Amino acid sequence: MAFQILLNVVLAFLWMFIKVSYDPISFIKGYIFGLVIIFVLRRSFGSRFYLFRLWSFIKLIFIFIKELILSNIAIVKVVLKPKLDMRPAIFAMDTELTRDWQITLLSSLITLTPGTLVIDVSEDNRTLFIHAMNIGEVEDEINSIKNSFEKAILEVSS
Amino acid sequence: MRKTNNIILETAIKVLLFFIVLYSVYIFTAGHYYPGGGFIGGLMTAGAIVLLLITYDIKTVEELLPVNYRILTAIGLLFAISTSAGSLLFDVPFLTHAFGDVQLPILGELSLHTATLFDLGVYFVVVGVTMTIIQTIGEDE
Repeated sequence: MAFQILLNVVLAFLWMFIKVSYDPISFIKGYIFGLVIIFVLRRSFGSRFYLFRLWSFIKLIFIFIKELILSNIAIVKVVLKPKLDMRPAIFAMDTELTRDWQITLLSSLITLTPGTLVIDVSEDNRTLFIHAMNIGEVEDEINSIKNSFEKAILEVSS
Repeated sequence: MRKTNNIILETAIKVLLFFIVLYSVYIFTAGHYYPGGGFIGGLMTAGAIVLLLITYDIKTVEELLPVNYRILTAIGLLFAISTSAGSLLFDVPFLTHAFGDVQLPILGELSLHTATLFDLGVYFVVVGVTMTIIQTIGEDE
């Protein structure tokens, strides 16, 4: 991804040198032409075309906002109930993510959505220990995290 | 004593450290026209190094930044003294500062002031003294 962006910037500069006009507008023109060329030749790179990954990242942000609103409503329901019948629990979740920044991002997203909180990461970075404020079924909780955040992060880094 | 897994803290520090140091450089350079200056910039840089010390241990940070902070303090004092005493060479009183506009080919017009060098000395002294205090307390067994 970084290599593709660098190549695109170099192509934009090359366009400026060819046109002998050094202003931002010619840079933007060259950037757009370079984007088209990289899109046509996208199969020659090891990774995906970088605009797709950017789009996945924007999708991840929207998933996060949606989860934030939904879980806040759930917490408000729990707080305003006259009876305290919530079931706090700590459960382990095996993650498929391997790299440091992926695990950090996933933990931050889980912690920022109310109701769940990462308290520890295991030694081999394979398991997250999560505290849930009001747990129904452990499997449901794990599945909801896996389907929303983990899939989106994997999509960004693929 | 089992070492805990600090993966989240370490990854966050790796990213945040550069932002903190860049902001401290901005605070240092803004001191002439806006709030800021050598003292607060040096404290903020020292704060970034303290964050590193919290994340890793003292030996790792010494490998990352092989700086002797006592010598850094001395260099800062030397900067402050020499920029103050440099005015004596031009037959003007001690601590008189000179300034002027310089035309550079790419950067355009820069207004240079010798008070910046004095401030750089203050910056080095603050970083050196803060880190010396923290390291000598931290290395006590």
